[in-house]
Amino acid sequence: MNDRIPLAPLQKFAWYNLIVFAIAVVAYAIAVPLLAAHFHKTLAAASLPSFGMFGVTGLWGFGSLICDRRKLDERESLINQRAMIAGMFLFWQVWVLSCMGVWAYLSYARHQDVVPVTLLPILVFAGGIIYVVTQAIAILIQYKRSAADDTV
Amino acid sequence: MTPSEGAQLKNRIRKLRFEHGEMTQQELADRIGAARQTIIALEAGKYAPSLLLAFRLAKAFGVKTEDVFQWDGE
Repeated sequence: MNDRIPLAPLQKFAWYNLIVFAIAVVAYAIAVPLLAAHFHKTLAAASLPSFGMFGVTGLWGFGSLICDRRKLDERESLINQRAMIAGMFLFWQVWVLSCMGVWAYLSYARHQDVVPVTLLPILVFAGGIIYVVTQAIAILIQYKRSAADDTV
Repeated sequence: MTPSEGAQLKNRIRKLRFEHGEMTQQELADRIGAARQTIIALEAGKYAPSLLLAFRLAKAFGVKTEDVFQWDGE
């Protein structure tokens, strides 16, 4: 049978999340030099406010219109659960490491005793992005690995 | 499911589909309330179904569960 297998709703959901993420990354990459040029700042100084471009990831909220996760069959539910665990695992690792990294950088490199409170929501937001992107990649890998033509 | 479990659990889903009027994977998936990708994974031996899904598959073909699945482990 050579017909093309249509994507399952969970695969569409994963691709949608990755596409939204890619759009956010492109918007960020465009925003950094634009903001730097417009406000006469360095690229490094413009990089933090440009992070607001990741607000585009709010479009992930429409993902539930693509895939109703209450209607998944048992294998898809298992794939989704494993992907969520992978996402949460990476989120936690990166979040803890980045919190320690920020503290270490500010205290040792810049001799700053106080960590700016504005960094905390950014770290949580970045962690959320890592969670969703990891989950999406884990979903696609699991579908690929259990495809009939895959030899993994 | 580990690869060794997949190797031990054999099934005749593909054969049974063709014996039942060349039923398509999508038709079978619709009958048992699963996704087509799940049927593909089952036929490839890359997914071991729950007991409930195994019974649903057997019922869809009108046969016993052991006519669909065979376990060749020790």
